[in-house]
Amino acid sequence: MVYSTLQKSQKLLASSRHVHKTAAHVVARSAPEDTVTSSFASFIHGARPDHLSKTVRHRSKRMILDSIGVGLVGSTTHVFDIALRYCRELYSPVAVSSVYGKPGVKLSPTLAAFTNGVATHSMDFDDTWHPATHPSGAVLPALLAASQMLPPGTKPTGMDFLLAFNVGLEVQGRLMHFSTEAHDIPKRFHPPSVVGTMGSAAATAKLLSLSRAQCCHALGIAASLAGAPMANAATQAKPLHIGNATRLGFEAALLAARGMEANPFILDDIPGCSGFSAFYGVYHPKPLPAPGDHHEFLLEKQDIAFKRFPAHLGMHWVVDAALSVRNLFVHYAGSFSPALIRTIVLKIPVSKYINRPFPSSEHQARHSFQFNACAALLDGEVGLGSFTESSIHRQELRELLDKVVVEHPEDNVANFDKMYGEVALLLHSGDVLTGKCDTFYGHWRKPLSKESLLKKFRSNASHVLPDEKIEAIITTVDNLENLSDSSQLACSL
Amino acid sequence: MWAKTITGNFANVIHGLNANHLTDQVIERSKRMILDTLGVGLLGTSTEVCHKVTQYSKIYSSDLSSTIWGRLDFRLPPLYAAFVNGVAVHSMDFDDTWHPATHPSGAVLPAVIALSEAFPQKKKISGLDLLLAFNVGIEVQGRLLRFSSEARNIPKRFHPPTVVGTMGSAAACAKLLALDQLGCKNTLAIAASYAGAPLANAATQTKPLHVGNAAKHGLEAACLASQGLQGNKQILDMKSGIGAFYTDYNPQTLPTLQSYPWLLDQQDVAIKRFPAHLGTHWVADAASSVRRKLVESSGNLLPLDKIEKVILKVPEVKYVNRPSPASEHEARHSFQFVACSALLDGSVSVQSFTNENIHRPALQELLHKTELEHPPDNTPSFESLYCEVSVTLRDGNMISDRCDTFYGHWRKPLKKQDLEKKFQSNALSVLPAEATEGIIETVYNLEKVEDCSVLGTFLSGQSARELSQKLRF
Repeated sequence: MVYSTLQKSQKLLASSRHVHKTAAHVVARSAPEDTVTSSFASFIHGARPDHLSKTVRHRSKRMILDSIGVGLVGSTTHVFDIALRYCRELYSPVAVSSVYGKPGVKLSPTLAAFTNGVATHSMDFDDTWHPATHPSGAVLPALLAASQMLPPGTKPTGMDFLLAFNVGLEVQGRLMHFSTEAHDIPKRFHPPSVVGTMGSAAATAKLLSLSRAQCCHALGIAASLAGAPMANAATQAKPLHIGNATRLGFEAALLAARGMEANPFILDDIPGCSGFSAFYGVYHPKPLPAPGDHHEFLLEKQDIAFKRFPAHLGMHWVVDAALSVRNLFVHYAGSFSPALIRTIVLKIPVSKYINRPFPSSEHQARHSFQFNACAALLDGEVGLGSFTESSIHRQELRELLDKVVVEHPEDNVANFDKMYGEVALLLHSGDVLTGKCDTFYGHWRKPLSKESLLKKFRSNASHVLPDEKIEAIITTVDNLENLSDSSQLACSL
Repeated sequence: MWAKTITGNFANVIHGLNANHLTDQVIERSKRMILDTLGVGLLGTSTEVCHKVTQYSKIYSSDLSSTIWGRLDFRLPPLYAAFVNGVAVHSMDFDDTWHPATHPSGAVLPAVIALSEAFPQKKKISGLDLLLAFNVGIEVQGRLLRFSSEARNIPKRFHPPTVVGTMGSAAACAKLLALDQLGCKNTLAIAASYAGAPLANAATQTKPLHVGNAAKHGLEAACLASQGLQGNKQILDMKSGIGAFYTDYNPQTLPTLQSYPWLLDQQDVAIKRFPAHLGTHWVADAASSVRRKLVESSGNLLPLDKIEKVILKVPEVKYVNRPSPASEHEARHSFQFVACSALLDGSVSVQSFTNENIHRPALQELLHKTELEHPPDNTPSFESLYCEVSVTLRDGNMISDRCDTFYGHWRKPLKKQDLEKKFQSNALSVLPAEATEGIIETVYNLEKVEDCSVLGTFLSGQSARELSQKLRF
């Protein structure tokens, strides 16, 4: 049943050369080529594999690998269980798309995307960009699911896949440049739920080869599915933001493929009647350059940060600073002796949702400067195990947390490009030891080496997959451009 | 039970309200809303937007299934039934409107009906359960709308059904699922992360999806919460929670459950007489009245060529200001279009928005002569706006009239026979007469219905004769 429905949509896709009556009127009234929205549609529609530079291809493949690994380990979480149970109970039979870490299970495409998106963000272990969002989790699951959805004989190649992935990233990045608010750590709407949904719509529209007009409508429909408030960060519901971004963007593209129409000026500034601008206080949209012979993707100039442990990106500065001062302390005292410490001072930027003196759940702990600093001090490292119930509630850890005070130096801005972390140990003896981190290992200024990235992937994937499968995925992603059928990637999960 | 947070307070109220709290007036008003919404939804199943979402939703199939209003030949999983039926309800902008502004019923009714048909463990849901859950969903919407002064005026940024409608659907479904207080709280928290669509898709084919998605996502939030998913338990308290959708946000606790004062008791809804934005209803009444005066003096035909200018004094509402609408969606959001239709035809109906009628030369000619003015005392609020239509003739004469309260507004509610007439006219476009009679009977006696799945069966078009044994009052 799914295949026959899809064959119809294939015909739809193939024959949508004509412009719908309504769109024609729009063309007559105000040249859509001039609008920001139409420039995006043209980009999505017109981008070609040869537009991808070597750097962009390389970086995006690293992102794909990391994202899959993070999703695989994420399939062992409680929130993932809930999402999967929900999807399986309500839907099924003709299910074609794979679920991370569950080889016997298939779901309908958008629900597989949802479930895998939840997995990806379940531990806050996924990549982060600047301006701030989690770009890959919002795009990859939809593409994987979509690649399995298309009938054999029309499967996208690995190159198509890689291109669609990058279109999804690019749209997210470009949208974030429309508002200065986006440069800082967010306060109101969680960026993946805003730009991530749009990126997923763009990426799937690209993979499904929608017409220019359909790409435009996909963006318009997606805007009406975007936007979740920040308050659910640091709760079990946060992973849904990525799950829904990737799923709803995908749905928007599917609806557009079936002829659904939306506002063709959705990205433009429409005074008195908000479009995408609704999510920002300050909004200055700019058109994308038409993809002629050359297109410079944002990923070329601005790389991604990969996390070394599953917590909010801000934690990584503080952990590296804590590890550095811990080293000093161990040299000073012979071993890590918490009794010698009077006060722990954290110098961090102002950001309410990651400032938690006494987190009580794993979700809160992943969003707590204080917790991550103390875990690093106590254990000499922060990893998956740091966020278990028993680890969070350890007596020694609570004692250390009691000693923490935070300071917000004016020069420490809440911005992933500029912030730093400083940890000072004020000892009873009067001595003060300090550690500071400007750029943690994994940040775009100091990217993870290939070995480190693979180590992270293998460690994550080994929770749910055997070695041969793990190596197969590594090889497949490495050779993505040469794959003739990209659904092999999804099938290998 | 006293709650420390507003969110907790909402959860307590959703959980604690029971059938005894429903007043007679609330029951009567909400049954009118239910009937109107069903009719509007049935009519809406014939629209193009509804066809598209139905095709889309058919990708998903499952064992658990709910009725698609007006369709006997297939069913869909509850989530997609809620979606499709919600789209149907808003497809023509024919559904009810409240003050502060939102379309309350369309976000809630499709979700509760779909859920009631596909209840876990196949439990039977009574008509009273459905009526109570429906009202909980309406009440939560109304209360949330009062948390921001921005909500009192016609919206500019986020389309209200997507903000409060999602929350209302979530609350109603949590109620129907009989979740405990914690479950209700988490439902609200999860739903918030689905809320909010920008206004710019109003007057496009995507707008109906706003209500469809509100219904669907609210239901999903309740289902996820019932599976144990947790969110921010202060979602209604925080500025970064539901407050994210408003620039000024001041949440308040709900009244105690002792003789609970429902908002629907104090503030009724407006029911539309034709399928277009509520603001155009003032325009239609004023324009029809001006037309009557005009044709009196020229033998029952509108003297088109004698008309020099048409001026509409309306509030400033950008997304309903369209001098030359090109699609049905735009026409439904155009003061100018509705005024000219009313002047030409004497009244506005479902037929006024067909392609042929939108593009008739006489209408286009009149549109060219039409201008808007925005008097400063004409505030963009459904509680206080007015419309004045003035037609200036070539000989210098001017005929005008003003409408402060159109028939169907909460200050001048539709009479029972007119509500029924609207329902019948809508429902008969897709259902046989026995089914439409069955729906009216069932809704009027909803409190006494033992198994409300009978409603779903009528909605699918099965005739009453086959169901007489199910109808037990």
